[in-house]
Amino acid sequence: MNKTQKTAWVSLAMTVLLIAFSIRWIIMAFTATVIPKSTLLLWLSLFGAIAALGFILFRKKQSPAEVDFDERDKLIKRKAVQISYISLWVLLIAASLVASTIVGDAELIPVSALPPVLFLIFLIVTLVWSVAILVQYGRGCKDGEK
Amino acid sequence: MAKNESSGERSQTIKNQIRRLRFDNGQMTQQQLADAAGVTRQTIIAIEAGKYAPSLTLAFKIAKAFDVPIGQVFQYQQDSS
Repeated sequence: MNKTQKTAWVSLAMTVLLIAFSIRWIIMAFTATVIPKSTLLLWLSLFGAIAALGFILFRKKQSPAEVDFDERDKLIKRKAVQISYISLWVLLIAASLVASTIVGDAELIPVSALPPVLFLIFLIVTLVWSVAILVQYGRGCKDGEK
Repeated sequence: MAKNESSGERSQTIKNQIRRLRFDNGQMTQQQLADAAGVTRQTIIAIEAGKYAPSLTLAFKIAKAFDVPIGQVFQYQQDSS
């Protein structure tokens, strides 16, 4: 597994966790409840643990001579960025339509719901980026003999 | 075989002899070839399996690693369909 794949896995784990947190945050915004401090601390701890794990375990090269990033990695990253950019547009359009369809044109949405919704969109775009990278690497053949 | 296709054109495939050349060059490993070409081992694996078509620069680097002309490493085939 190269550095790009490892980054994608860590990013995937963090975004899944944060998406779960954001959905709860949105629900709380609509129900006008406050996130308990203990819950907030738990989420932050989980997030920090994954980030620290990624930083510590995946930052160091396996060997000094190991190539971190080559032309194929660049191509895969570029395609992943393109796919995530398209997903951003889809999400923005969907969010606009969903809000209008579910809530209705005459209803109101609390302002406090806007930050978690925007954060959720950002997280989903990041999730799409991670999945696109892992799928593209997965399409290659399995590791052959050394 | 790495494929390049576009609508209305014949299927183009690029074959390579990397695996054979590795064995002919003192059982060179994929990692050794990757180090010589300046890429990751995964890229060499993908090229050997025909899942990835290398850039011209990389193709020349691989040929140089085997000390053979590039035509002995990569062959272009155009299939009529």
